[in-house]
Amino acid sequence: MVASIDFWLTQFLNGLQLSMLLFLLSVGLTIIFGLMHFVNLAHGALYMVGAYAGVTAAASLGSFWLALAIAPIAVMAVGMFLYATVIRHMRRSGPMNQVLVTLGLIFVIVDLVRIIWGDIALGMEQPAILSGPVELLGVVYPAYRLFVIGVGAAVMLALSLVLSRTQIGAMVRAGVENDAMAACMGINVERLFFAVFCVGCALAGLGGAIAAPVFSATPSMATDILIPTLIVVVIGGLGSLRGAIAGSLIVGFIQTFGAVVLPGFASVLIYVLLAGVLIAKPSGLLPARG
Amino acid sequence: MFHQSPLKSLTLAAVIVALALYATLGGYFPRDIVVEIALLAILALSLDFVAGYGGMVSLCHGAIYGVSAYAFAGMTAVAGYDAATATLAALAIAAAFGLFVGAVTANISGIFFIMATLAFGQMAYVVVFEWRALGGDDGLSGIERYDLSTLGIDLNDSLQFALFCLVVLVAVYGVAALVLRGTFGRTLTGIRFNEDRMRALGLSAWSHKALAFAFSSLLAGVAGILAAQHTLFVSPELLVWTVSGEVLIVVILGGLGTLVGPIVGAALLVLLKHEVGAYTNHWHLIIGLFLIAAVMAGGRGVYGQLEHYLLQKAERRANA
Repeated sequence: MVASIDFWLTQFLNGLQLSMLLFLLSVGLTIIFGLMHFVNLAHGALYMVGAYAGVTAAASLGSFWLALAIAPIAVMAVGMFLYATVIRHMRRSGPMNQVLVTLGLIFVIVDLVRIIWGDIALGMEQPAILSGPVELLGVVYPAYRLFVIGVGAAVMLALSLVLSRTQIGAMVRAGVENDAMAACMGINVERLFFAVFCVGCALAGLGGAIAAPVFSATPSMATDILIPTLIVVVIGGLGSLRGAIAGSLIVGFIQTFGAVVLPGFASVLIYVLLAGVLIAKPSGLLPARG
Repeated sequence: MFHQSPLKSLTLAAVIVALALYATLGGYFPRDIVVEIALLAILALSLDFVAGYGGMVSLCHGAIYGVSAYAFAGMTAVAGYDAATATLAALAIAAAFGLFVGAVTANISGIFFIMATLAFGQMAYVVVFEWRALGGDDGLSGIERYDLSTLGIDLNDSLQFALFCLVVLVAVYGVAALVLRGTFGRTLTGIRFNEDRMRALGLSAWSHKALAFAFSSLLAGVAGILAAQHTLFVSPELLVWTVSGEVLIVVILGGLGTLVGPIVGAALLVLLKHEVGAYTNHWHLIIGLFLIAAVMAGGRGVYGQLEHYLLQKAERRANA
């Protein structure tokens, strides 16, 4: 396995791109987990809806950029509907019931998507400006994939700033730390949760829309992405932004480099890591609660 | 606390008799459905043992089922052992895998436990998927059904195989019920209700939970051996986490912690799949809505709801 620096740099960028997609999904999931102890398995299904919404918007409006703006809003609307009909009623009913109800939601959403869009993978055009390859440090790499990395990094930066420097961020952190106490301090935790839930859904939709030109939109996206995302959340620690960042990078890089170094057993590595973290440090590597 | 109530016996008898009649009077296809129900029922029953009575919601029972099916298939079709040795080995491997998972995860709770079992299940899936000697992702064929000709039974006959599976289902139910009625089962239920108190009584919650998981895996292994003989073919698809998810759905639809409920749930799910599947390939939509409704209605499941309703009625009569 002696290969040039270029090869490893390309793999590094691939790993980074996967990490950023995982980050867009896991950050919403982890804050929803951490803030309200709500297990939302349907998060992966929202990512899939984002991809399909992006494909349809791009095809009908003819603009990638408009699609990138519309998909998160559409997914947020779906998320609000789910919140009003199902999730709000399941807030206090234990992790197992939440797992089951959101598993049911996956079935329903995936089948609705299959009814509306069919079973065939739908592609999405990359915008002309990003369709070519670019040269970076002597490596030729698709510009669009760099764009994905850039979007992920921008969201990461924006969220860190919001969470650490604004009042809303302080309220979210307080809610994660101790929701009962936060409520006593006059924070409307329920409304805060709803807002965070909407942002989480929008990010899942954004993730789906930017993934669509690379992977195409398929009904199996919903469950394919779910397990890696859950692993990121659990490894990183529920409710922790730093945990989601660290977890995404770990899982993204292990999957990418594992596939090169130990083909076939890359996914075993991820599960070994997950089991190891759960046994040694069940609260995750970077838990939100000190 | 497990109690083999008259309602449980009645429900079990009604379901088994109905399935036996369906298999006897129907043709090849109904018999296939009965086998499918019996396999899913055994697996769901084994999950209910740990989830309903031990409080351990496992997402790796599909993997245990697959490991046992593969162990049986590998021992007979690849290594050439006889069916009896292969059966014992498959059960031992399933129980050992369960004991390992149980021992490592017994101190983890809630969603973390679910994730940990998922991780071990997926590890088994990837190992089987990549194991070329066992056919890898192509699966493995060349499996034979038990030779019971000395008893005058021909399992290659679809009706006799269906009835055989029903007999095994009843036997597995009986064994699980006996264990739950005994000291071990009562201790396990006690741990589920109040782990700290059981510990204060000097009992090791950890070892009871690990052993319960191993026993449940042994029962799941029975279903795996039958599954290998049912289709005469095993593939890594048996071990995918969605199988475990489906089994969990069966337990919930039927009634968690009722032991007989999962059998009802298995019959409902398989029949629904085939009935709805005859009209549309979107049967997951119906199952999903059904599941959401079942959990949001209180999560007691079909059998659990019936039991609850009858208990309340009896209470009202007693108070009147």
